[in-house]
Amino acid sequence: MSYYFAIIGTQDNPLFEYEFGTSKQGGDGMARFTEQARQLNQFIIHSSLDIVEEVQWTNGQMYLKLVDRFFTSYISCFLTASNIKFLLLHQPPSSSTLTGGTSRTSTSIAANPTSPQTEEAIRNFFAEVYENYVKAIMSPFYRTNMEIRSPVFRARVAAAGRKYL
Amino acid sequence: MSNHLPAGAGSGGGGGRAGDSGLRYPSNGKTIYHRPLNRTKTAELSKAAFAYLFAEMVSYAQRRVTGIQELEKRLNLQGHPIGLKLLDLLLFREPPRTQLRPLNIIALLHFIKINVWTHLFGRQADRLEKSSNPDTPDEFMIIDNEPLVNAYISVPKEMSQLNCAAFAAGIIEGVCDGAGFPARVTAHTVGDTGEGGEMWPGRTVFLVKFQPEVLEREALIGAKS
Amino acid sequence: MSFHFAHSSKPWPLPSRIPPRRQRHGNLLKKKGSLIASLTVFSLVIINKAGGLIYNRTFHEGGLNKISTNDYLVLAGTFHGVHAITARLNPVKSAPERPLSNSIPGVPGGILTRPEPPSGLEVLESENFRLQCFNTLTGVKFLLFTDTTQTNVDVIIRRIYDLYSDYVMKNPFYQLEMPIRCDMFDRKLLSYIREVNNR
Repeated sequence: MSYYFAIIGTQDNPLFEYEFGTSKQGGDGMARFTEQARQLNQFIIHSSLDIVEEVQWTNGQMYLKLVDRFFTSYISCFLTASNIKFLLLHQPPSSSTLTGGTSRTSTSIAANPTSPQTEEAIRNFFAEVYENYVKAIMSPFYRTNMEIRSPVFRARVAAAGRKYL
Repeated sequence: MSNHLPAGAGSGGGGGRAGDSGLRYPSNGKTIYHRPLNRTKTAELSKAAFAYLFAEMVSYAQRRVTGIQELEKRLNLQGHPIGLKLLDLLLFREPPRTQLRPLNIIALLHFIKINVWTHLFGRQADRLEKSSNPDTPDEFMIIDNEPLVNAYISVPKEMSQLNCAAFAAGIIEGVCDGAGFPARVTAHTVGDTGEGGEMWPGRTVFLVKFQPEVLEREALIGAKS
Repeated sequence: MSFHFAHSSKPWPLPSRIPPRRQRHGNLLKKKGSLIASLTVFSLVIINKAGGLIYNRTFHEGGLNKISTNDYLVLAGTFHGVHAITARLNPVKSAPERPLSNSIPGVPGGILTRPEPPSGLEVLESENFRLQCFNTLTGVKFLLFTDTTQTNVDVIIRRIYDLYSDYVMKNPFYQLEMPIRCDMFDRKLLSYIREVNNR
């Protein structure tokens, strides 16, 4: 399973992005996107913003769960109080490397993007990133919609990814 | 999404570039990321320390201003980023069950009256009102009988239009803007008029005027649900 | 004049010897049947460290004769000068000799001590009023004109100093050494003195 995580500001501008792979079940934590997919991921995330905006004013929850799907890419969303969007694109291993049957029946987070376990794991991931995001914006030098450059923040996001996904 | 930096893209698993970023860390190695966000919930700050700091902020804002409006504008600007940040911090501190983003004006104003006020001033705001004038349905009022920021401030006669609570108005404006309810917030002294004016000479009304698109959206959501 | 006895709950603790004295005084008034309230704070003058008058307010008409603002300015300047000279008269007490043995010089018992600053004129009394001066560490002087029988003047002055440091020094529109024009200070001071005078 490969993940692409992005924080999108209020002007639909990217504030932070990070690619990683699963660390569960012996995963090495490396993303397995092809060069082409990496370009595509940004477009997929961007296009799902429209769907996020549709639910933004009808659902007061912060965690909006799965919001969009593009072929094998699933997009989960978390909205902060100040309407900053956390978007996580997750892509199960492509069926060409695995036999189709096993990837559907497996209960692991990696193989099953729509299961409740996956939903909960992503919720925990977002919650931890949110905590660190709040800490990041507490900096007196940080203004809304500025890129988050803190290396500590990046390390924390990576740790949350390893921990839950 | 076209302005991705190369450093950000494709650094899968590559955190901890702290060493070569030229950042300086506190000597004990603890950054804000190592501290919990919840612990200081009940801690109090010295009112005197705030009063001296605020006095300096007002003096600073007063430098080379051309008029009272500009001075209030500057105080407002000082408060604005605080409001933006408070919104996220306070919602983060809410228990998960009630951790809801405010979706309508009433929910937002209640959040300000209760959560923001209690966090900043140790008590709730005194009253919440909607403009009774049918021409201005976009105006709401948050009323504080004695704003903490003005506790020690006497405004000279020649500046009688000034209310230094413009700073608190800026905080409210930041909260509103952050939550997606763009508004203009101004502070007005109403102590000498109205009932109870004798008792609360410093009574301040924070006039919240939302942008037209906020009411438009409110009507749309109301119609849908 | 029963109110002299009615207020037993005071905002600060009074020494126990005070009540009988107040009581006696109240009786005295009753006998006289006089309308002039005694136990009164008449007026307050604040002088900056350069000897300039920065605040002057009368709380009780009739206690003192009216003098012009100009005269108050002269009073402030003159008092400032007299205070400075009397402070020079005051011998500075040298720190007490301490045993030579194992103590660190200048730090007896671990606490740094330094000689008391020379204090100048503190109280000036006439037949009808009493003038008490309180000199702050920054050289601001509070002069309080009271009735000769007023008690607890130092407590009152302290409290006025509190009000001054709150409502004058924390006010961003007050410029140091300049005349005090702060509504909030006036208001708080008046209500406090009214409370004292009505006790």
